[in-house]
Amino acid sequence: MLLTGVTGFVGEALLHRILGDLPNTHVVALVRRKGSLTGRARMEQLLNKSIFEQAREEYAGDTAALLDARITVLEGDLSEITELPAGLDIVIHCAGDVSFDPPIHQAFETNVRGTERLLKQILASSPLAHYVHVSTAYTAGRRRGAIPEGPVEHEVDWRTEARWGLAMRDRIEETSRSPGVLSRLRKEAEREHRRAGPITSAQDAERRRREWVDKKLVQAGGERARSLGWTDVYTFTKAMGERVVEEIGAPLPVTIVRPSIIESALESPHPGWIEGFKMAEPLILAYGRGELPEFPASPDGVVDIVPVDHVVGAILAAAAAPPEPGTPSYFHVSSGARNPLTFSRLYELVRAYFDANPFDMSERGAVRLPVWRFPGGEAVDRLLVMSERAHKVADWAVRHAPRGERIRKLARELDQQQRRLDFLRRYLDLYRPYAEAELQFTDDKTMALFRSLDPEDQVAFAFDTSVFDWKHYLVDVHCPSVTASMRQYDVIRRRRGRNAPTVTKDLPEATDVVAAFDMDGTLLSSNVVETYLWLRLPELDRDGKLREVGALLRKVPGLLAAERKDRGGFLRAVYRRYRGADLAELERIVDELLAQHVLERVSASALRRVRAHRAAGHRTVLITGAIRPLTRPLASLFDEIVAADLATDELGRCTGYLSSPPLVGESRAAWLRWYARQHGFDLSRSYAYADSHSDLPMLQVVGRPVAVSPDVHLWREARKGRWPVEEWKSSGAASRLAMPTRELSGERTS
Amino acid sequence: MSRPGFVLEVDDRTPPLIVHEGEGFRLEKFPTGTRVVYSPESLPGLRDVDGAIRQALDNPENSEPLRALLRPGMKLTIAFDDVSLPLPPMRRPDIRQRIIEQVLTMAAEAGVDDVQIIAALALHRRMMPSELQHALGERVYRSFAPDGLLYNHDAEDPDNLAFIGTTDQGEEVEINKRAAESDLLVYVNINIVPMDGGHKSVPIGLASYRSLRHHHNSHTMVHSRSFMDHTKSAMHHSAWRMGRLLKDHVKIFTVETTLNNNVFPAPYEFLNKREWEWSVRDQASMLAARRGLAIAPSKLKRRIFQNVQAPYGITGVHAGETEAVHEKTLANVFRQQAVEVQGQSDVLIMGVPYLGPYNVNAVMNPILATCMGLGYFFNSYRGQPLVRKGGAVILYHPVPYEFSQLHHPSYVDFFEEVLAESTDPATIEERFEKQYATDPWYIHLYRTSYAYHGVHPFYMWYWAAHAMDHVGDVVWVGADRRAVQRMGFRAASTLADALEMVSGTVGRSPSITYTHNPPHLVADVR
Repeated sequence: MLLTGVTGFVGEALLHRILGDLPNTHVVALVRRKGSLTGRARMEQLLNKSIFEQAREEYAGDTAALLDARITVLEGDLSEITELPAGLDIVIHCAGDVSFDPPIHQAFETNVRGTERLLKQILASSPLAHYVHVSTAYTAGRRRGAIPEGPVEHEVDWRTEARWGLAMRDRIEETSRSPGVLSRLRKEAEREHRRAGPITSAQDAERRRREWVDKKLVQAGGERARSLGWTDVYTFTKAMGERVVEEIGAPLPVTIVRPSIIESALESPHPGWIEGFKMAEPLILAYGRGELPEFPASPDGVVDIVPVDHVVGAILAAAAAPPEPGTPSYFHVSSGARNPLTFSRLYELVRAYFDANPFDMSERGAVRLPVWRFPGGEAVDRLLVMSERAHKVADWAVRHAPRGERIRKLARELDQQQRRLDFLRRYLDLYRPYAEAELQFTDDKTMALFRSLDPEDQVAFAFDTSVFDWKHYLVDVHCPSVTASMRQYDVIRRRRGRNAPTVTKDLPEATDVVAAFDMDGTLLSSNVVETYLWLRLPELDRDGKLREVGALLRKVPGLLAAERKDRGGFLRAVYRRYRGADLAELERIVDELLAQHVLERVSASALRRVRAHRAAGHRTVLITGAIRPLTRPLASLFDEIVAADLATDELGRCTGYLSSPPLVGESRAAWLRWYARQHGFDLSRSYAYADSHSDLPMLQVVGRPVAVSPDVHLWREARKGRWPVEEWKSSGAASRLAMPTRELSGERTS
Repeated sequence: MSRPGFVLEVDDRTPPLIVHEGEGFRLEKFPTGTRVVYSPESLPGLRDVDGAIRQALDNPENSEPLRALLRPGMKLTIAFDDVSLPLPPMRRPDIRQRIIEQVLTMAAEAGVDDVQIIAALALHRRMMPSELQHALGERVYRSFAPDGLLYNHDAEDPDNLAFIGTTDQGEEVEINKRAAESDLLVYVNINIVPMDGGHKSVPIGLASYRSLRHHHNSHTMVHSRSFMDHTKSAMHHSAWRMGRLLKDHVKIFTVETTLNNNVFPAPYEFLNKREWEWSVRDQASMLAARRGLAIAPSKLKRRIFQNVQAPYGITGVHAGETEAVHEKTLANVFRQQAVEVQGQSDVLIMGVPYLGPYNVNAVMNPILATCMGLGYFFNSYRGQPLVRKGGAVILYHPVPYEFSQLHHPSYVDFFEEVLAESTDPATIEERFEKQYATDPWYIHLYRTSYAYHGVHPFYMWYWAAHAMDHVGDVVWVGADRRAVQRMGFRAASTLADALEMVSGTVGRSPSITYTHNPPHLVADVR
């Protein structure tokens, strides 16, 4: 017997039944290579799972022996099937793409072309084999009413569809490289990452392009399917696949088994057995977490669920009863006709389960379960669209709000909401056609097959879906099984959540480690405009002060815009105003007046950290876009200071230009790399501290980045990378608005 | 004639009494039977201060007149108490200015032209130009500061320190080199509490860290019972030994001054008065102040309080040989501040005001609040403490979790790193003091910025060592819980709660004493 898709959910269950109950069957398994794992290794991995324990015991627990005795592994893929062994009696094809929204070319490749190639190989090697094709009941697409166990009626030519579907890939890839698309994506990327620099933006633009291609391919599949009357590309290509079977498999005895929604096992291998998440689990879990406020189904709609062991039973029974070549048999494995489960009943049962066994959300107690009113697809969609819009507005506001702990908390909540909304959007879009489908799969032929079995086999290979009780199945079997892993994960996550990433208290001693610090916003609560005023105002008289502040206030909107766009340009615009200032005088002002102002604003935690790095022997580096005189009060804490240098004329007066470009964004990263190479420092063990999105490249080059009082952009990146986030507050005693006053100077330090 | 201090026993006719708590005050209704200690009423100030100064300089105690000590070509150094005195700052002209101006005039008349003026700040922060101007006046500042002849003492400048010798107890004496090498050192002091002055002026004010550590440590501090009585204070004993050694090397001419209790200017005079004697105007000012403070943002409150300047009267000026002068000075101080109290009580209540010696122009951080309450106020006794051994202390102060990064950089780290490990003075001293005292960054800030020395928070903590050793329970009313907990104390929201909390130590009906301070008082506990 040849078995494809043995590593899948149904395939695994099939193999389990075969190894356990059909001792005289030798299995040939078609297994794909995955990474470095050979087909055989994957098979061994599979057989090591607990459900195969009984089978292993017959060979004294020796997996290799079991494998050698019962299975021949055929390493290969549906796209390049190697020659099949001759003399196969039965071929069960249950490999396929199970996701509902794969890219169009992928769906055709596996579900249509793969089937075609497999059949051709069978015809070549074992022309008498019984070919059992596992399809899906939903190949009926968007038809309504009773669906007979026979070929789906349609006029679509699978060869044409496959050709165009496969061609889509190149078409879309090509379009993605056209100037129109590229420039739009680049602009989007730049809007978000411009402050971090062009390379960061470019990387993001390319990531966006790839995402765009995937999205378009998925869209293309969905649209084509809907335009021909199917719910999605999955059911569409499955239906095409059946045509392939009917046509190419005509010389063979052929059976098509169409299960509906396959869920966890009722009895075998054990009650509740399930591998991975299938169709309903994400929704059940989301509901249990209180994150699924409504569902776009009608309460009297039928959810057609079958336990996997029933599917397996039906496949094996069908495999044992080959029809005449040229007249394929069709079997529906479904529950809707004789044991219907309505959405309202499903909802009641799932709710009852979670009422009795709520998810533990630790300190917040049990989750509040939403009450579904089934208002219909339209209303649910409207609700979702509204939430999405509100979220967009809030997100914009958060990204543009001044930074602070409260804003970051808000951002965290928004991100969580975003994930929920994305989830809802994806699943509601995917499932809406199914939820609204009013299909009734008749299963008379399947029942006839069932009745033809021996009474003994009727018990062993039960697939009469009318016999079980939904309450028992959902509340006692299915829900506990699918929530178990989630509950475990919750425990782990809670434990992990308690210790958010931090910088170790005792810094490791090393001499080849750099600790790089940003200044404005990280070490002290200041910005270049503020420090500019500190520096310039003491020199001016009262009118001059008012004039200067007024001139600056007028420029604020322009400066803010420049800050968002390009930090370097912004710095240049501010520093232009130093034109005419005497550099030596600026340094004197810093020493006499500003030093105390700066020291007052320095965060105590920041200083402690700088000093701790020094104590550990690390090289401390201050990288700032601020002008050099301003770094003087902190100079003795750092081994190296990189700051902006104001260019001066021959009289020592500032020209308003810088002597070299300011070190911002990616140039900081480049500088750090150069510096590390030059002095033999190990960046992977080095530290960097910064507060703003524009410092992202600098943080990314070191192995131990720390986001300090970050803005929302940087905070999101820090969360993604699990970087420590620290809040370095400067002393509350320092007033933001206090200006250094010109005190009588001339005091000499003794 | 002003009335002497007295002890009020709270009965049902007693009105709510003023309790200071940081930048504000509250009116507290104390349990019946509470003893409230009031300082003597403010003594009348000298009418002719300049005349009194001249008189003191011309007729010094146990010394030749100042004029006779001055000669051309000599090296004259004038040292003066720094910004930590007086509290609150004195309304201009400051008494230091008045004295130094006269000394300088005499020196000029005698043809002395090598004169330098030094702020004797030990390990305190340097005085800012504005503060120097306030203390010495515009004229002195302008004539000396630009030429570098008026400056702050630097206890970490090895080139400008002179080692004098070792006392018979092995204490090293090292002071400012210029002062040590002068032909005459004139020290101008303000003796606001009995702890100040005497040999505490030169041997401590102009000393280096090497010298200071002999008396500023947890051992001497626990054995100073109390700081306000130099005959019973181990710290003062050490300073006296050093002073006597120093006397043989440097000619010191001490000028000491004492102030009356006129601490609060208009419109806050009501704070100087006894509550039941408030006039209608006082009541109105009190209400206005209370309402105003209730709604004022904290920064404004701080500005209002930091701007308070006291209209002190001068109660005495004495000059001459240090010990003889100090004796007269102490008599004056006690005349103004001493109150006789019969016996100890179970609970001592104190209101910590907004200002201590070390937070002029800065926020009073938790360590300074502790030092003020458990260090200064607790030690304001002669004989025995106001609270019995194992009793409880209840303090009022908001204890904000706030530090001035400019003035108190080592305090923040002390609070975050040292107190997180231990609150025991001896342990702290052994494990951390050296590291903080020698830290180059703190020294850098002490020498070039306006920061207290790295070791200073340790001294503040040692100040409180005697109290922490003596009492069983410390509860802060109205304090920031986080800050108070870090220091090993507890916080209560009301006096009733605080009494409830300490009832485990002192029982349900303890005897209570409340010291109505400021104005300053020293309790003579019999």
